[in-house]
Amino acid sequence: MKYLLLIFVGFVFFFSCKKDKVGYEPTPYQLEIPSHFPAMQIPEDNPMTVEGVELGRFLFYETKLSGDNSMSCATCHAPSSAFSDPNQFSTGIEGIEGRRNSMALINLGWNDFFFWDGRAKTLEEQILLPVKDPIEMHETWPRAMSKLNGDVDYRNRFYKAFGTDKADSSHAAKAIAQFLRTMISGKSKFDVMYKFENNIPLSASEQAIYSSITASEWGGYDLFRSLNGADCFHCHNGPLMQVKKFSNNGLDATFTDLGRGEVTGNSNDNGKFKVPTLRNIEFSAPYMHDGRFSTLDDVINHYSHFIQISPTIDPLIEFAGQGGVQLDAQEKDLIKQFLLTLSDEEFINNPAFKAP
Amino acid sequence: MRNSIKIIVLGLIFLTSCKEKDKLEPEEEIIGNYVNIEVQPVYDTEDLYLDSVYTTQEGYKIKFTDIKFYMEDIKNVSTQFSDAGLFDYRTRGTLLSRVQGKGSNYMNLSANIGVGPAVNHNDPSAFPNSSMLNIINANDMHWNWSPGYIFLKIEGKADTIPDATTSLNHTIVYHAGLDVNLQTISFTNITWNKVGNEETFRLKLDMAKFLNGTQTIDVKDEFSTHSMGGQEALTLKIMENFKEALEPY
Repeated sequence: MKYLLLIFVGFVFFFSCKKDKVGYEPTPYQLEIPSHFPAMQIPEDNPMTVEGVELGRFLFYETKLSGDNSMSCATCHAPSSAFSDPNQFSTGIEGIEGRRNSMALINLGWNDFFFWDGRAKTLEEQILLPVKDPIEMHETWPRAMSKLNGDVDYRNRFYKAFGTDKADSSHAAKAIAQFLRTMISGKSKFDVMYKFENNIPLSASEQAIYSSITASEWGGYDLFRSLNGADCFHCHNGPLMQVKKFSNNGLDATFTDLGRGEVTGNSNDNGKFKVPTLRNIEFSAPYMHDGRFSTLDDVINHYSHFIQISPTIDPLIEFAGQGGVQLDAQEKDLIKQFLLTLSDEEFINNPAFKAP
Repeated sequence: MRNSIKIIVLGLIFLTSCKEKDKLEPEEEIIGNYVNIEVQPVYDTEDLYLDSVYTTQEGYKIKFTDIKFYMEDIKNVSTQFSDAGLFDYRTRGTLLSRVQGKGSNYMNLSANIGVGPAVNHNDPSAFPNSSMLNIINANDMHWNWSPGYIFLKIEGKADTIPDATTSLNHTIVYHAGLDVNLQTISFTNITWNKVGNEETFRLKLDMAKFLNGTQTIDVKDEFSTHSMGGQEALTLKIMENFKEALEPY
């Protein structure tokens, strides 16, 4: 009878409260959203957690996600380059060069479409693609996850973040998406200018920054927003310094890359690409979807004198008929000085975004 | 033996106590009635499609690439329908505004075409995400230099040289805003079309009438306004013609 009793007690001990597995108690992650930014929409099926964000950071820098264990997301999205690639085109593990410049990863939590052609509608969807792209990381997700699940540390991290011991690509994508949503840039000199212009109260430290803004920087901002000046604000507007649209900004008269048109199959979209943010533009060279411009001076010169007319050119490039907005040397300098106010050193150097 | 039985009974209680107890009953799905205001752009008698080419009264060829506008403070006297609806033909189709409710509560509606001064100059990030006035939804319909909202935005291209070839290289950009240009509109005895639990009030926006209403807009010469100084007359004409072109369908 005693044995029976012992077996029963053991049975009870083993099976009782099985659902309350120890270790899965994710901690909600509180995003620090700048006061002049809108709230961020977080997908219901991927709530932000401290454990998810931390796992995402590990995965962002994890080379096991590539076929030969040599490349991670950060290879083409380097922190010092505002999480973009300083090379015109990124080279994948097979030594094949891509055809577009890697986009800067800034404030992605407010974006509605991803890649230059907008082919991904969510961050989670976007993250899945470079891993399996033969000219990028060239790895299958099952193999990548097999490598990760073979690592005890990752198994624990996936369990703590998602309560699963059978993590798959969707968990990896969710974790990286959580990490990317924390990458918020909103502490540049421009932010103080924006708040001032929109009658949003400034803190004491922002007041000090406000006092340091030069007449040239204000002059550049005025020119940036002037219809008869640089006329940049139609596409680069609001606290995010971008509008959500695809635009043909007059780079070419004929297209070698159809951009958005490749995705929609609509010829009216040919030559259009996602409007990028101008935040941290100082660090994210080279510029344009194909990285054709090495410097900000090249970009300013393009909009001033070298606009190419094509059937899908953005109607908001109103001076296209004259080749551009015709800025003189002094105006170009003012614009450049304003563009440099978009640099957010705290973002670039944030240890929370660095390799673990 | 008695103790053993007690332990077994206690054990059974312990074993079953945690099982399923935290399971919540699934929440009952809320089924409600929705009321929608939709706007169908037309060109005279036919439905209008962006990027398609139409002929103006003057014989010009014209295509519209974007049609967007705000209708704000939509209400039936004191019963608010919505704080603001945003029409964006390219990205949101014909929908202007959609709320939960019943059409019978909104037999008459009034609204601003544009955004009234009470909210026009507020911080656009401070509106709730669900509001079309939030900067994320407003997107390119907000000027941070004014600051304020763009009330309506019509963009396109035209060929104003009537010859055998169509060359749409004449840019048309109408961006109207500023408090002084705000228009109000009202609809009475509204007919709500009911399908299932959806009720819809349909409007049409006749772009031919917009160009050739009581006032004529000659796209050859009147092709651009950003509501700046010197553009007051065209901006007001744009707003007034737009109001005239919007009517129950």
